[in-house]
Amino acid sequence: MDIISNTVALSRLQFAITAIFHMLWPVLTTGMGIYLVIVEGMWLKTRNPAYYHHARFWAKFYVLNFGIGVASGIPMGFQFGTNWAPFSEAVGNFFGSVIGFEASWAFMLEAAFLGIMLFGWERVNPAIHYLSTILVAFGANLSTFWILTANSWLQTPAGGELVDGKFIVKDYFQAILNPFMANSVMHMFLATLETSLFVIGGISAWYVLQRRHEEFFAKSFKIALAAAIAVAPLQIYVGHLSGEQVHQYQPAKLAAMEAQWETIPAGQAAPWSAIAIPNEKAQQNDWEIAIPNALGYILELKKELSEPVRGLKEWQPSDRPHMIGLIYYSFRIMIAIGFYFAAVMLWSTLQWLRGQLSPTNIAKQSWLMWAWIFAAPLGYIAVECGWIVRCVGRQPWVLYNQIRTVDAASNLPPGNVLASLTGYTVVYSLLFIAALYFGSRIIRTGPNLNLPLPGSETPAVVTKAGEFLPDERPLEAKQ
Amino acid sequence: METLQYFLPQVWFVILALFLFLYVMLDGFDLGVGILSITSSSEQRRSILMTSLSNIWDANETWLILMGGGLFGAFPIAYGTILTALYIPITLMIFGFIFRGVAFEFREQANRKFFWNIAFGAGSFIAALGQGFALGGVLKGINVDANGHFIGGTWDWLSWQSVVVALTLIQGYVLIGSTYLIWKTTESLQKTHYQTAKIAAITTLIGAVLITIVTPIFYESARDRLFQQPLVYIFAAIPPLAIWLIWQLLQSLNRQQERAPFVWTILLFVLTFFGLGLIVFPYIIPSQITIYQAAADPSSLVIMIIFIGFLIPIMLFYNIYQYIVFRGKVTENEHGE
Repeated sequence: MDIISNTVALSRLQFAITAIFHMLWPVLTTGMGIYLVIVEGMWLKTRNPAYYHHARFWAKFYVLNFGIGVASGIPMGFQFGTNWAPFSEAVGNFFGSVIGFEASWAFMLEAAFLGIMLFGWERVNPAIHYLSTILVAFGANLSTFWILTANSWLQTPAGGELVDGKFIVKDYFQAILNPFMANSVMHMFLATLETSLFVIGGISAWYVLQRRHEEFFAKSFKIALAAAIAVAPLQIYVGHLSGEQVHQYQPAKLAAMEAQWETIPAGQAAPWSAIAIPNEKAQQNDWEIAIPNALGYILELKKELSEPVRGLKEWQPSDRPHMIGLIYYSFRIMIAIGFYFAAVMLWSTLQWLRGQLSPTNIAKQSWLMWAWIFAAPLGYIAVECGWIVRCVGRQPWVLYNQIRTVDAASNLPPGNVLASLTGYTVVYSLLFIAALYFGSRIIRTGPNLNLPLPGSETPAVVTKAGEFLPDERPLEAKQ
Repeated sequence: METLQYFLPQVWFVILALFLFLYVMLDGFDLGVGILSITSSSEQRRSILMTSLSNIWDANETWLILMGGGLFGAFPIAYGTILTALYIPITLMIFGFIFRGVAFEFREQANRKFFWNIAFGAGSFIAALGQGFALGGVLKGINVDANGHFIGGTWDWLSWQSVVVALTLIQGYVLIGSTYLIWKTTESLQKTHYQTAKIAAITTLIGAVLITIVTPIFYESARDRLFQQPLVYIFAAIPPLAIWLIWQLLQSLNRQQERAPFVWTILLFVLTFFGLGLIVFPYIIPSQITIYQAAADPSSLVIMIIFIGFLIPIMLFYNIYQYIVFRGKVTENEHGE
């Protein structure tokens, strides 16, 4: 069907673009919020001004990301109503409540204390300021908790049933504690943290290589590395658990992730496909390199499976996901990035133990520094790939096995959706370019190490508002 | 159980009205300041305007997100139907929010501020315009079938009445924005906004009078409601009260009082909001779907009262604390480095 005249396809595309764009920003703020808690804590404990300047410098990235995160997140909430009215009506009892919880528990907390965190250094005492920084980070991570709870519930609905097309919740806690919830929240929490750590480490590495403030940035580099020692391996493990859960609860998604067309019966050795060209029309892979027995070891730690891995052909084409190639490769890219992070972490730890990361030696580690700079954008790509696997892979269902995506869309004139979709695409492209531009400017400008410490210096020169006379000069002269 | 089915939706109607009112009041002055920034005569003045909002605009906007989330959970059908019916005004508002929101940070970073000045001013204006049309569209009535699903047209919200409502709302925002700036600024900037407040008070009054006359004439459902006993006495009391409040407001502006104009404006907003709430209640989609028909399952409403309702005093507390931390006049360099 022609996509231009298909409201469902347009609404899906619009939500996908909104979600993919939105996801780029909170990833950094939720993870970096925790980092800011660490450096401010170290500033309060050691009174070493470097940590205060770290808190101020990295907060610039925080606020840049935060503004775009808010601006791009609002459309998602409203799109549930504008473009997915039947969905809203059907799942409002649970999903709608959780969106309300997210706003009241998380958004408001983060928004209200962000002002104090950014602008309150001279206005509140250090304890209150630190509390504000903690509450900002806590609020951001509460959003992760609630939104992943909501999404997990769509993937593995629990705690009630559909009655006359509406989901009636019988047990709220069962719905919140749905099968996917714990793992998904953890996987996303670690993803935001890991992405932020490699962004912080990567930017720090760039300064080190530039020989700008090496000693200063060696600190943030080591904080990021120390956290990555715990996070990188843990993320691989949690990711593995998520994969096992998909096998158990969403076998059709697993088949798509592995481009597995034929069922592998129990008791047989299962190869793991490393590279393939899936062909949806022929329902087979045109070409493939597979590692013998690997899937068995991945899923059950043994050569022969005790449970079958069902192939895509077991489902009617209308009951299974499409765009197999997208799901298959997104999954592999995510995994590759996860292992790359772990490898960079191991290499860096080794060098650290050998004393190569001291302020005098660190700049000589140019290969290692480049490995971190290269890693900086990878976390974002992994997160996007993960969401593509999660949400394209659960099609054709919006509420898994219960409500189809096609039945969930508002009946709008396609022209309306096309117009708003075009608007989002243009505006988001502009914002993306602007964010890259201003982000790289913050990096090029570097930290302001002459910033007076809070409470210690005379306040910055204050100009009275009344001294501003109306400026009648032509605009060029004002710049 | 019978009483619960009436009581719970009513509780949620009141909670959502509270969220919406807090939003209209708080982000109302944000948007008003944004619209006023279009006329700023210098970059320094515009900087002060934006600095006066930089620590609070996001929390203020969050009241709307909270109201949206609450509506989604408490009255799911209404969330879907109203937003679908108002697709264009809501989309306008969202784009306005996007530009307004990013302008704060980008303008501060940019060397050439021109584009982000427009993003801030026009974004605020577009967001207010979208909200005005949305309100006008809801008051006019949304065309739904027996199940509460939208069956009207794309442009149903647009009429000359909704244009009047939108323009009046924008004036109201400019009024509350001006009185906020009177409170937060000094000297020449303050003087300017004594002027804009006076103008906005009068244009808001004209709009309000028009709407008051138009509503009972053109909206049948509102007419029935307005002349219902004993509500008619309450409705009859609103216009004189409003005129008294506007008179007090103008007096305080003439006396160059600093805080009173803001307070009188808020009282004016309270009164208007109360009147609108009385007209709409017990409908969630006016004259079509009642809150009882649209309500989510009672168990959901109870859980939401536990999870959201009890947080309301806490949210109010820390929001007020924030205003106390940032009390006093705004200076340009305060938030910069």
